[in-house]
Amino acid sequence: MDNLFNLSITVNGVLYERQVEPRLLLSDFLRHDLGLTGTHVGCEHGVCGACTIQFDSQPARSCLMFAVMAHGHRITTVEGLGTLEKLHPLQEAFKEEHGLQCGFCTPGFLTTLTSFLEENPDPTEEEIREAVSGNLCRCTGYQHIIGSVKLAAEKMRTN
Amino acid sequence: MNIQGEYSFHGSREEVWNIFRDPDVLIMALPGTKSLKKISENEYEGELQVHIGPIMGSFGGKLTISNEFYLESLTLTVEGNGKIGFVKGSGDVKFNPISENLTAIRYDGVIQIGGRVASVGQRLFDTVSKNMIHQGLDKLDKALQDRRKG
Amino acid sequence: MAKKFIGERVRRNEDARLLTGQALFVDDIEIPGMLHAAFKRSDYAHARILSINVSAARDLPGVHAVYTAADMGEDWAPGPPLVSPPPSVKDVTFYSRRQAPLVKDVIRHAGETLAVVIAESRYIAEDAVDEILVEYDPLPVVSDLEKALSADSPLVHDDLESNLAAHLNQQKGDYESAKKQADVVIQRRFHLDRGAAVAMENRGIVAHWDEKAKQLTIWDTTQAPIPIRNGTASRLGLSENQVRVIAPFIGGAFGPKMMMFYPEEMLIPWVSVQLCRPIKWIEDRRENFYATTSEREQVHEVEIALTKDGHILGLKDDFLHDTGAFDPYGLTLPLNTQCHLMGPYNIPNFSSQCTAVFTNKPIVTPVRGAGRQQGIYIIERMLDISAAELSIDPTVIRKMNFIPPDAFPFNNTIVDQAFTPLILDSGNFVAVFEKAAEMIGYEKFVKEEQPRLRASGKHVGIALTPFIETTGVGPYEGARVQIETNGKVNVVTGYGTQGQGHFTMLAQIVSEQLGVAVQNVRVVTGDTAEFHWGTGTFASRGAVVMGNAVHAAASGVRKKVLKLASKVLSTPEEELELVDGVVRIADVPDRSISLGELSGLANPLRGAVDPGFEPGLESTDYFGPQSGTTASGCHGMILEVDPETMMVEIKRYVAVEDCGRVINPLIVEGQIHGGVSMGLGNAYYEKLQFDEDGQILNASLADYLIVTSREMPKKVETGHWETLSPLNQLGSKGVGEAGAIPVPALFAQALQNALFDHKFEILETPLSPNRLFELLQAS
Repeated sequence: MDNLFNLSITVNGVLYERQVEPRLLLSDFLRHDLGLTGTHVGCEHGVCGACTIQFDSQPARSCLMFAVMAHGHRITTVEGLGTLEKLHPLQEAFKEEHGLQCGFCTPGFLTTLTSFLEENPDPTEEEIREAVSGNLCRCTGYQHIIGSVKLAAEKMRTN
Repeated sequence: MNIQGEYSFHGSREEVWNIFRDPDVLIMALPGTKSLKKISENEYEGELQVHIGPIMGSFGGKLTISNEFYLESLTLTVEGNGKIGFVKGSGDVKFNPISENLTAIRYDGVIQIGGRVASVGQRLFDTVSKNMIHQGLDKLDKALQDRRKG
Repeated sequence: MAKKFIGERVRRNEDARLLTGQALFVDDIEIPGMLHAAFKRSDYAHARILSINVSAARDLPGVHAVYTAADMGEDWAPGPPLVSPPPSVKDVTFYSRRQAPLVKDVIRHAGETLAVVIAESRYIAEDAVDEILVEYDPLPVVSDLEKALSADSPLVHDDLESNLAAHLNQQKGDYESAKKQADVVIQRRFHLDRGAAVAMENRGIVAHWDEKAKQLTIWDTTQAPIPIRNGTASRLGLSENQVRVIAPFIGGAFGPKMMMFYPEEMLIPWVSVQLCRPIKWIEDRRENFYATTSEREQVHEVEIALTKDGHILGLKDDFLHDTGAFDPYGLTLPLNTQCHLMGPYNIPNFSSQCTAVFTNKPIVTPVRGAGRQQGIYIIERMLDISAAELSIDPTVIRKMNFIPPDAFPFNNTIVDQAFTPLILDSGNFVAVFEKAAEMIGYEKFVKEEQPRLRASGKHVGIALTPFIETTGVGPYEGARVQIETNGKVNVVTGYGTQGQGHFTMLAQIVSEQLGVAVQNVRVVTGDTAEFHWGTGTFASRGAVVMGNAVHAAASGVRKKVLKLASKVLSTPEEELELVDGVVRIADVPDRSISLGELSGLANPLRGAVDPGFEPGLESTDYFGPQSGTTASGCHGMILEVDPETMMVEIKRYVAVEDCGRVINPLIVEGQIHGGVSMGLGNAYYEKLQFDEDGQILNASLADYLIVTSREMPKKVETGHWETLSPLNQLGSKGVGEAGAIPVPALFAQALQNALFDHKFEILETPLSPNRLFELLQAS
């Protein structure tokens, strides 16, 4: 257990300093070292998108990254988007439109979509489908997810 | 999967045959071979390092030469096992003399892979194995030409 | 006026937690002192283990233990059979062979567990797994379903005479006589394959043996926590009360998480007891393809006998079924296939022999649809082929053969997966079919749009596929409902939930009885410490069986509420109503008492109680249906295919379902959308590729393609028809699998219709762009 790296990383606005092995995946660091279990691991090969977080505001796969690669960077996980007391408008829209069933893929969709909606406040259906084409969902068939995004865009535009 | 092909060596049939039977040359020629030791007249033991897409690792195993018809044909059988899976293959090699300086070989065989390397690397295996075989044959040919000079 | 809750699009109680990352899944469990497991799995599909050398693995720093089968000593035993063949089928042969926690001598499928490493972290455990040296003696692999039955085939189980796992013969009427009377007999051979469930969450188990308390707690991604508890207690020589199994939030299941006992489920709790430490094992995605069950191949030889005007006189289907290396799940899949071959049609004579075959491949158990889509695929393709042969319109041939709406209950006599005769309890197949046809504009499309599009060179096809689905099977489920002194209601059940909205659906049923807001009904599922009687979540039975158990328990509480409130308010029960969390006199709303207060009165701290007293406002009840109930539906699709690229675009998709009384339409829609997406995967994108050595060649999500947002049609238009089931109080039927069942047949038919100018017949599923290309080239 020599070879430890002094990691300094900001997650959801909080600075963490931890000693980690260089080979520790960012997804494992977030989930088990920091206890932020909202980010889920579906494949560990970058395909399913369940592990998506925001890396300096850009959606990125945390399963394809070592924690040390995020040294000095800002990470946002689903826990940073909203709370039980105050849901993000996108989270409210998902609830309203039944955009989730088992909820396992959902955090990855949320971190992908909040970023997308910031850059595309009035997206077409086609643009939304394209934006989430890298996130796999086995439960919903995507229709209500698309509906949730449309509703969220509307909510966010009127605020 | 099936592996077939042809290759022309710059040497006589006898010279090419001898290259195939010489472990010190084979070790240079087979890409990724870390060791190759003769354990009996027709058996070699060794370790081969492979890199197929996302999979990297080594196979330890045996290479056997059989069905030898001197200067005409032989069968190579390989069986290897490693952390990344296993490989099993066998191929017939036929030697056709063209001239004193040119021999054509024809190889025809079957390779089976299993384990991690099969489930993730299978898509790439076709191309990678063809590459490996060609690289190997090129190196053998070069070794042959060096031997002829020296 | 009492508010309605059943039938409303209630938003889900559980969503806020899931959306904010506050929901507990198995891999989220962290217990001080927890160790991590990783498995050494076989690379070979069939081999003898000559030796396993774990010494280098044991010596690795951070490794606490390595176990092989030998290390388990007398504790080693194969898993119990989960389902035995139905005693009511007269003509059945069944050889039971089950999986082991760790392989002792012969490996029978790639991915079988050979050893387990327990270490400080999963990373170290995986390092140690790589240090384990196994000497294999490879054996010939049984991989082809038909060759497996030949006399000279190698044997998967060498204590048997062949690779025959089971034989099942079901007959209705007299097919051979019917055939003699037919004007037309059509034969075809079909090759059917399905795929893997690919839930987004892989399996996992955390087992925590507390040596001081002598208590074992297990978190498991299982659909059936109660049987897991009982079986684990039995295997470990513990009392059932010492074992608690919790199925927390689960990231999708679709069937394979119902299979038990997985080798890991047998082993991890045992390891925890050995080491007196909490042990966690989480499956990774590549493991999931080998180590979690899936459905696989069937080969069908089919014959249909008809009159020249299209009436079906009889149907015969003899088929082979690949069960994999072991058959713990009995004959559920073949029985489901047999029970759906007659579909929604009146077929007076039927003969089906199923031969289940052992192969050196992973175990086959139900995946959403569970063998039903194969039966529906066969009858629907045969009807299309018959229609073409007899020059009858495909919708006409179906309508003339539907079981009419006044013919229920309709007894098909053969035995189904629940061991009861296949009696279709209710339905209106004609109405459902016509509704789907109307929604998709079938007539207009076929008469006007399609000819126009074809004339402009487009290959557009349309199809309608009706189907039935047996759902809501027994044996039973149970629930306990209790009103707390804070006025909130607790509902406790033993089965698990994997995204189907039970926390909301069951709450609605309670709200309907007790007049409490849905958000104030707290549902607990999947914890054997809370409720320990029941089976599990499978076969589209949640709303029916658990729903009715909850309904019964809630009704029991309602009776107690009325009885006590009647005393307290000095008013006859008939004049009382339960609204907004209070009991009040109807029309005199200020004479009321809150349910919370009433609950307090029902649990006195002093004084004497009457004989037969039951404290509180609580009731436990059970529901066991006499037989499954028949859901039905019809899907329609218009698709366009490019005969050069083989790419398909679904222009329209309609799904009409009859699931009896709908409790939450929003949840039902979601189930149908999800089912359709899996069905499309099964139709055109998904296939587990095995080579002849039993290796899976596409064991990753990069190569095993599940449907993304781009492949789904823009809108799955849902329509509803309701024939209430007479078999339960709520009148409900299941719908969890319905979306997936007709899709492979529908897709094949629409494609066939689109490629009208090519002479070829689709007799297989799945297709794929590659395969379609091959079929067109050959035509």
